[in-house]
Amino acid sequence: MSNNFTVVALAAASSLFVATQALAHFGVITPSDDIVTQDDDKKLGLAVKFIHPMEGPYMEMAKPRQFGVMAGGEKTDLLASLAAQKGKSAEQTESFTYWQGNYQIKRPGDYTFFLEPAPYWEPAEDVFIIHYTKVCVNALGLEEGWDQPVGLETEIVPLSRPYGLWTGNLFTGQVLVKGQPAANVPVEVEYLNPAAGKKGHLKPPSDPYITQVVKTDANGVFSYAMPKAGWWGFAALSEASWKMKKDDVEKGIEIGAVYWVHNIDPK
Amino acid sequence: MNDSFLRMLGGVVTLVATLLLLQSPALAHKVNVFAYVENGTVYTESYFPDGRKVEEGAIEVFDKAGIKVAEGKTDHEGRFSFPLPAVKDNLNIVVNASMGHKASYLLKKTEM
Repeated sequence: MSNNFTVVALAAASSLFVATQALAHFGVITPSDDIVTQDDDKKLGLAVKFIHPMEGPYMEMAKPRQFGVMAGGEKTDLLASLAAQKGKSAEQTESFTYWQGNYQIKRPGDYTFFLEPAPYWEPAEDVFIIHYTKVCVNALGLEEGWDQPVGLETEIVPLSRPYGLWTGNLFTGQVLVKGQPAANVPVEVEYLNPAAGKKGHLKPPSDPYITQVVKTDANGVFSYAMPKAGWWGFAALSEASWKMKKDDVEKGIEIGAVYWVHNIDPK
Repeated sequence: MNDSFLRMLGGVVTLVATLLLLQSPALAHKVNVFAYVENGTVYTESYFPDGRKVEEGAIEVFDKAGIKVAEGKTDHEGRFSFPLPAVKDNLNIVVNASMGHKASYLLKKTEM
């Protein structure tokens, strides 16, 4: 092998590495419980983050533009419940801002929590990123509301009921942009990976296992079978119809419709 | 085995299968009951997971000692209410819907 070839190969490998790292941003809402029964604490904690779920690193997260819950067809603003926290992954030396909210469940039904973060500037990709993120919590046996859109710029509407899933179940959803099905868009899939040494930790054998990718069909529908118990995130990516300025230069905006689902092992 | 017996057997199997099919939607729906307190009244709501209400469900309310303190039937909205007992303590609220569907909700003292 010539030295020139080695240099080229290394350069190609490192640019691939950078690209992979840059691909895997996810907005996250993690509730302390996803199925609330009458024996459970009805006060939910909600961690709101912007991270690389499989690999762990946090990104600095400004105060979200919207954070709320839709239940019984009505939306409630929960922005005031958010408190800034600092967090980092095992590999990070610096801590970054994330947000912690809470919500008291009072009635049976499905609670869809939704997030519109402030635009995040990503120099590596030369774009702003806005991940419209949702997660659904079921309370007290009434399974009503999970299949309803919230009305975000882009969002995933579940076609599989998004709770009570076993490991290996297929999660199917429809991606909407401005309320219309988004055909042929990529949906990135990542596992919310506990830190190395923690229960449930997964070590991807190579880069394509970090972020898996499925695409939507002509109706904006995608499916993915989750191979491991835990939280799985789905980020359907589109380009916004508008631009934003960074240092007086117009830049594109990646809008992501993110949905989180939890599954457990059948036993 | 003669033909008429087989035909009869087939008919019975079909009938049983049909009856099972007719019943399965109800069997697949677990009954739930939920309760909350507002202004000295205990409100109960009985429902199936898909949101349909349990109509004419028999409600029985038991105190901590297992003594029945209230009973009644749910209305067409699945609702039944009763005055909050003077002694505030845990209440076990049981709904008995048709075909043996039964559920209970423990209304805690802290929620009164």
